[in-house]
Amino acid sequence: MSETLRVPATTYLQGSPPWLLDWLEEEDQPLPRLWFADETPQTEQQVQGFEIDRCPVTVGEFAEFADSTGYRTDAERHGYGLVYTDTWVECPGASWRAPGGPGTRTDGYEDHPVVHVSFPDANAYAGWAGKRLPTEAEWELAARGTRFRIWPWGDQWDGSSANTAETYAGPLTSLEEWRKWWLAAVERSGPMPRTTPVGTFAGRGDSAFGCVDMAGNVYEWTATPSGLYAGATACDPSVRMALGRYRVMRGGSWMNFRYQVRCAERIHGDPSGWSSFAVGFRCAKDAQSE
Amino acid sequence: MVTIVLPTGWTGGRTEFEGTAGLLPEVIRRFADSHPEYRRRLLGPETELLRYINYCVDDDLVPRHARSETTVPAGSTVTVIAPMAGG
Repeated sequence: MSETLRVPATTYLQGSPPWLLDWLEEEDQPLPRLWFADETPQTEQQVQGFEIDRCPVTVGEFAEFADSTGYRTDAERHGYGLVYTDTWVECPGASWRAPGGPGTRTDGYEDHPVVHVSFPDANAYAGWAGKRLPTEAEWELAARGTRFRIWPWGDQWDGSSANTAETYAGPLTSLEEWRKWWLAAVERSGPMPRTTPVGTFAGRGDSAFGCVDMAGNVYEWTATPSGLYAGATACDPSVRMALGRYRVMRGGSWMNFRYQVRCAERIHGDPSGWSSFAVGFRCAKDAQSE
Repeated sequence: MVTIVLPTGWTGGRTEFEGTAGLLPEVIRRFADSHPEYRRRLLGPETELLRYINYCVDDDLVPRHARSETTVPAGSTVTVIAPMAGG
């Protein structure tokens, strides 16, 4: 089972400072300022001491859980998982056991993060492991510490420190470039998730508290219901309707640009049983008293 | 007339579009016919609503099992919510 790292109780400012949105607007990236508004304003968070997994849960760890309990994921029960080909498709037979759809396997992927796990699946594993999902505030604190930093290792992008789409395609500045890369990748080797073994970027990519893969590899579920840091924040109207209904996911994935794998980046996931080939999780637990 | 709201991430900026009242699946199919660039984000190969997309009519999330019977009255707003919203 994954090594856990201890994070002491502290208070910190969660979210992004105003200059970060100015910077995003100036950068050569395709998304409008409004898209990132939900990570502002910074909000003081008091966090109790906790422990968090150094790595996302792997295929091998999830297999141990499924084998010992007979657990079937939502994707297995529903008969499909979401896979991106030239758009998101409900791929029959796609699950954590066949992450790219029928005919794909996880042989050799035992040390990769598990994917196609829904929010209920992640909670079921965490309960079995005697743990829980981290809250959003815990996740961000574990990723960047009490002092703001854009990525787990600092404020300078380093493509050799995280598994993102730029690992394969080089620097990306437009959705068209991303699409060109992905369609060529699917043509070559099918729609398998481009995950990497957990800890591949250990050292250079370590977070403030020593966690790995907090930027990229897989999106990670948190326990926190989606909400705004300040109710008056103007945000995307579709995101606004997800508030109170979805759960926050963090960290971005192998599918994303550098801008979507920032420590303060938020995305909101439907917790009602949906999963995809880019979504995984890591666990946390309350700190043991000494 | 109804208002159909799409995620900014789909459109690059604009969020509101016009649609016509009726049963939710028909509202979405007609919208996809008039805006084919969004068709595959909304509909499967048999023009069925994709299961993983969520819809709110005004402030109410429409349960998946109730989509086919849900009426979108004139003057209301249909918000399309992807399973991963924002980001």
